[in-house]
Amino acid sequence: MRGFGGFLAYRLFRTLVALWLVSTVVFVVMRLSGDPVPLLLPPDAPIAEMERVRRDLGLDRSLPVQYGVFLANVVRGDFGRSIHFRQPAMEVARSYLRATFELGLVAFAVALIVAFPIGVLSAVRRNSLLDHATMAVALVGQSAPTFFIGILLILILALRFDLFPTSGRGDWRHLVLPALTLGAFTMASIARITRSAVLEVLRADFVRTARAKGVSELWVVTKHTLRNAALPILTITGLQFGTLLGGAVVTETVFAWPGIGRLAIQSIYNRDYPVVQSTVFIAAVLFIATNLLLDVLYGILDPRARA
Amino acid sequence: MEREGRNVDTPTAEALVSAFERGAVSRREFLSRAGLLGLTAAGAGALADAAAPARARAQTTQKREVVVAQGGDVSKFDPHFSTSSNDIRVSFNVFDNLTSRHPDQKVYPGLATEWKATGPTTWTFKLRQGVKWHNGDPFTSADAKFSLERTFDPAAKTMVATVFTTIDRIEAPDPYTLVVHTKKSDPLLPDRLAFYGGQIVPKKVLEDVGPDTFNTKPVGTGPLRLSSWTKDDKAVFEAYPDYWGGKIDADRIVFRPIPETAPRVAALLKGEVDAITQLPSDHWDRVNQSPTTRGVGALYAGLYCLGINAKNPPLNNELVRKAMALAVDRESIVKEMYRGRAIVPNGPIAQGDRHYDTSLPPLRFDPNEARELVKKSGYKNEPIIIETTIGYVAQDKAMSEAIASMWKDVGLNAAVEVVEYSVRAEKNRNRTFKGLWWTDPTSTLRDPDGMMWRLLSPNGPQDYFRDPEWDELGNAARFSLDEKFRGEAYRKMTKIMLDKAFGWVIIMQPYEDYGLQKHLEFTPNPNQQFEVRRFNLKLRRA
Repeated sequence: MRGFGGFLAYRLFRTLVALWLVSTVVFVVMRLSGDPVPLLLPPDAPIAEMERVRRDLGLDRSLPVQYGVFLANVVRGDFGRSIHFRQPAMEVARSYLRATFELGLVAFAVALIVAFPIGVLSAVRRNSLLDHATMAVALVGQSAPTFFIGILLILILALRFDLFPTSGRGDWRHLVLPALTLGAFTMASIARITRSAVLEVLRADFVRTARAKGVSELWVVTKHTLRNAALPILTITGLQFGTLLGGAVVTETVFAWPGIGRLAIQSIYNRDYPVVQSTVFIAAVLFIATNLLLDVLYGILDPRARA
Repeated sequence: MEREGRNVDTPTAEALVSAFERGAVSRREFLSRAGLLGLTAAGAGALADAAAPARARAQTTQKREVVVAQGGDVSKFDPHFSTSSNDIRVSFNVFDNLTSRHPDQKVYPGLATEWKATGPTTWTFKLRQGVKWHNGDPFTSADAKFSLERTFDPAAKTMVATVFTTIDRIEAPDPYTLVVHTKKSDPLLPDRLAFYGGQIVPKKVLEDVGPDTFNTKPVGTGPLRLSSWTKDDKAVFEAYPDYWGGKIDADRIVFRPIPETAPRVAALLKGEVDAITQLPSDHWDRVNQSPTTRGVGALYAGLYCLGINAKNPPLNNELVRKAMALAVDRESIVKEMYRGRAIVPNGPIAQGDRHYDTSLPPLRFDPNEARELVKKSGYKNEPIIIETTIGYVAQDKAMSEAIASMWKDVGLNAAVEVVEYSVRAEKNRNRTFKGLWWTDPTSTLRDPDGMMWRLLSPNGPQDYFRDPEWDELGNAARFSLDEKFRGEAYRKMTKIMLDKAFGWVIIMQPYEDYGLQKHLEFTPNPNQQFEVRRFNLKLRRA
């Protein structure tokens, strides 16, 4: 082992570089693509008034200067003030995080709990009715657009059968439809990848050996197969967590869920630079942290990765 | 204003959906854009069908709470920092203005009980006595003076600094008298005071806590007092029991943002909310067919138009512009695309405005005459570009495509380009539209001065064409206290505008539609205020 400290320091450095790159791209793209000031003022505001507001917001300075100020502030943990909300941007973004975590974690948990056993069962009973049926459903889950699944669920479960509320955040019943919608894609991908990973391992020589030794099928699957199939499943699961953040944008809009995905999209429309920066920063940190966690898990699961 | 405030909402999706339904947008294009918008459209129509068997409920209620769903959340509570429609629906109920424009569009007393012009450049207001702020402090003329001065105080950095530019200075000789001196005669000051910028804020609170705290903990004199706010989830207001106009007919009003149309309509049909804003015309029938809900509408205080950049060829050619105006089949657009929820205007003054000329016929559709004009104009097949947004006004892209094909029919080389909201706002500010663009001029004062003159005057936001006689009339009308003279001036200005076909290709005057539970009695306000005061909102009780 190269030394866990060294590994961590290297990863941390890479993380910082990644965050810097992401922030810079967002900075440049946002500023080149539009100006928040005309969206703030009544449209009959004269040019002088526009200039005044631009000056107040520090948008009259040259891009490199704005960038320098931005970097200097970010290093101190200051992401500026939201143009739209007139409050500290990071505070605004953080206040939306809770709702997204709530939704994302439930969606993720549901996806895992449902998808993993289905994937394993489909592989073990390959070509059975169960296999065909679940894989067909998974295909739909993976290919149907999120907004379509969302509207379908509202249509059937909320309006026709009156089981759940149509939108908004409240008790657990409010969580069901958005979590299913958000989790659909993840669920489908995990089920499919689990099935193929398990199938792959089931064909391996050591499984044949185990069976030949007379090891029970249950033991073959749980002990010999799953451990070996875990790596690809883990990889996909980790990646899916990132996709979940992206999916939150659509799901949160459909279900009027007050989360960070919706905040991000609105802030882009409003050209609220500081809030966009804050949300992207949070998303990047989450994504990178997940990947880091995955690397550590790899090391635990696969002794070869520790070398 | 044009309602730029809409830009802060997620762009509505119905334009895209209907374009798809009619085949105007390819499936791939639809899906990719829908994904971008987070669109919930696919089952929009089917959604409402599913609600048809909804149980018939009583048309009375025991509820003491009214939930209102609008397209976006409140962004700020300080009324001087926003003109967006989602904000003003709320802020006009938390705060009072000196004058108040009711849904019938007349100006009534607000915090001022009476007012009159006491000189050519002086207005004197008698203020209401016994009014209390939400924190119990008494309201006085010092608050009114402070509020109006605050709007244009450079240090306050408000977003309504241009509303009261006619004001020279303000005096508060006693606690219940306010004297406003204007730079020139301003016949419309009482009208200006009724709209945004005119909300009165408490001097002492603002000085004590500062604007940031005030923005999250507003204190007004209005019928609603903020109780709690969870961003993008709900803003809860309790009825202010000591409201001078009487406590409203509910204990609580909750504003919820539901950005997408289909879930917003679904929430209404299912009874989760009591009122929804921005009911699109293609849901109008379904909301009315449901046993528990109904649609109500008010003719919008303004028009939907295509702005004309008459500086560039071929739109600098008067005959081409006249041909364009004649070639638009407005009747069909209203019928097919708005399902009748709009009317064909007769000129640049909106129906319901002061000096609207009832004797003028609706704008003409005559493709043959248009074809002749194109031939006569010497038009050399230069492209005529409509830069449309998706959802800035309902159905804008679909309408653009329809209008472009009507223009092609008469021999004009029209094409449609799509631009994003903030790009549109920027082009609007810099006046760099290539040819035509969607604009929804709002009549902020219910007077042509607050609409055509505000937008099309020299250096106005849509200054793309000058006519000396028109300019002179507009300027004279602005500063005249003689309504007869003003009426005559606007009649002449209308004629010049239609003769020379500049400013706008006027398309329609739509309805502002809302969906309501039947137990709610409510009259919508044509200018996007959402009036919950006693005289306008009642719950039918068993």
